[in-house]
Amino acid sequence: MIYFTDGTKEGFLTAFLCAYNDEDALLSSVQTQLALGQATVFVAADPQKAAKAEARLLSYDKDCMQDLFYLLRSGMSDREQIAFRYFKLLADRKRPVRGMLAEDGVIAACECIRKVTYEIHRMHGFVRFMESASGALYAPISPDNDIADLLVPHFRARLPEFPFVLHDVVRKKAAVYDGTNVFTAPLQSAEIVLSADEKKWQALWQRYYASVNLPQRERLKQMRGYMPVRYWKHMPEFDRQEPFPMETPV
Amino acid sequence: MIDERRLRILTEGAKFDVSCSSSGSKRKNSGGMGNGYPSGCCHSFTPDGRCISLLKILLSNNCIYNCKYCPNRLDADVPRVSASPEEIAELTLDFYKRNYIEGLFLSSAVDGSPNDTMERLVRTVKLLRTQHRFHGYIHLKGIPRADEALVREAAKYADRMSYNIELPSERSLKLLAPQKSKESLLLPMRQLCEERRVFREEKRKGLFLPAGQTTQMIVGASPEKDGQIVRLTQSLYRNLGLKRVYFSAYVPVVHDRLLPDRPAGQLHEHRLYQADWLLRFYGFTAEELAPEDEDLPLDLDPKCAWALRNMQLFPVEVNRAPLEMLLRVPGIGGRSAQKILEARRYTKLTFEHLKKMRVVLKRARHFITAGGKFYGANSDTAVRNLLTAGEAGENAVQLSFFSDAETALSALTGEL
Repeated sequence: MIYFTDGTKEGFLTAFLCAYNDEDALLSSVQTQLALGQATVFVAADPQKAAKAEARLLSYDKDCMQDLFYLLRSGMSDREQIAFRYFKLLADRKRPVRGMLAEDGVIAACECIRKVTYEIHRMHGFVRFMESASGALYAPISPDNDIADLLVPHFRARLPEFPFVLHDVVRKKAAVYDGTNVFTAPLQSAEIVLSADEKKWQALWQRYYASVNLPQRERLKQMRGYMPVRYWKHMPEFDRQEPFPMETPV
Repeated sequence: MIDERRLRILTEGAKFDVSCSSSGSKRKNSGGMGNGYPSGCCHSFTPDGRCISLLKILLSNNCIYNCKYCPNRLDADVPRVSASPEEIAELTLDFYKRNYIEGLFLSSAVDGSPNDTMERLVRTVKLLRTQHRFHGYIHLKGIPRADEALVREAAKYADRMSYNIELPSERSLKLLAPQKSKESLLLPMRQLCEERRVFREEKRKGLFLPAGQTTQMIVGASPEKDGQIVRLTQSLYRNLGLKRVYFSAYVPVVHDRLLPDRPAGQLHEHRLYQADWLLRFYGFTAEELAPEDEDLPLDLDPKCAWALRNMQLFPVEVNRAPLEMLLRVPGIGGRSAQKILEARRYTKLTFEHLKKMRVVLKRARHFITAGGKFYGANSDTAVRNLLTAGEAGENAVQLSFFSDAETALSALTGEL
């Protein structure tokens, strides 16, 4: 049986209860092409059932909801199934399974969580703000995982005096810090009026980027490993018509 | 706003400093801009594979010193420019605000006297910290022969400071950087080490170099053997409490009868970094890695080489070996060792498990058993041959990255 959920935590926990005794259960929040004859059920989130499941799981592992939180933020289409296998193992063993690193279900969950937390760390570095005429900062992002709002605490802590918008242009939503409050809101597209100097600072950054490189030591494979090409599109250092000129050493 | 030409010249003068780390500081934001990021944060990567974490820049490239290996030495025919503290502060703040950088790595040629130069560096950092309330990461290069009081003042505002010892022996330093002396470099390092210790012991308010000190040396420009370099590195960690020692393979840009004509290999540099890691994170001592008058082998990484000299200790059983021993198995790093430790609490590990856990077995299989099973080669010679053969393949690729003559400048360093 395939159990479709709405992608929320309550939806997952409700489906978890329904599917727990089903040997061939498959959980998903993504509409997929179904093989002929596969039985499906849409599980509506039920707060009572979800609370029951949560209490039970927490009694086995008090930190497990943190795992679920990150798993459901994953951009992988089989995230619910990965979470299901992990929590089924937890429910079977009735004690924390996080350290059972030789178990397939734990390996998959750990890798999935690591992808999310690693992308959060990466984005702390890769986000590029542009300054608008009002002084507010705006950064378009297109992360693999649904993490826009999870980036806010980091930037709020270091730029408390600057309102900013982190715009997930793929999921069409924005995480906003208005100088006092933090909230998320749907956002299709944004028209930004740039500050007078914004383009000049971007040009200086491009110049810096080109100058600090050691062209004689080119190692593009390593570069792309650390900073995959999919992250480049919102970075001004790559916003150039022609490839980087080879700077001649002074 | 600084102009593109000066930004370029001052950046190109600074880029040979290897350090780009922004880790180690927990500086808080108390209004204004910025804070520390204890694990460090990379903001971009350049096509040479290096990360950009800090805005690495010189205050001036106008130098009164004439160090043989340096592109900014007095004799060099290069355009001379400088930036004002205000320009550097503005650049730092505007880059930081846009999240281009994690902070500033400020250095300078010795422009005028050492004290004048150091004073301008300190003024820049102080301007950022006090007037602009900037709490992001600042790595400040120290100028040898500057007054003690200036050094102390700098440490109040910087997260990390570094003096480059430049060369691995006093004799080479005398020969190649005659205006610097061992004492002029070690004195301020000792001063900072001591004052930091006192500051921490007395639990004084504020911060004093929270990210400590680092240094850098050129290898391959002078005759010191790796055994000597590794011992020097170890003593820098032990006696001066340094956080990092950086190495930079020498590449000739300047023709001088005192300097070799051929570049030192990048692979050589890589081996030294591997040895450095073994000292810092794997519990090795310099004495275990290489005899004082010998180089590290190029055809094997230093951990493999050590293991092959100590085959009587292997194979170890992954289900029982203590962490210290797991860390000494070639191919098993810190992360794998921790995973093994955790996983074996619940189950008896097999090779199948290790593979699923992504423990790299290419080298490790010759040195471990899992559940009593052994899948390595059956003689020491066979192990050696397999390991060096594997390395030769990797090296062929590595050398093709670095070995061409155009590598000029690429590993040169020694900026002040």
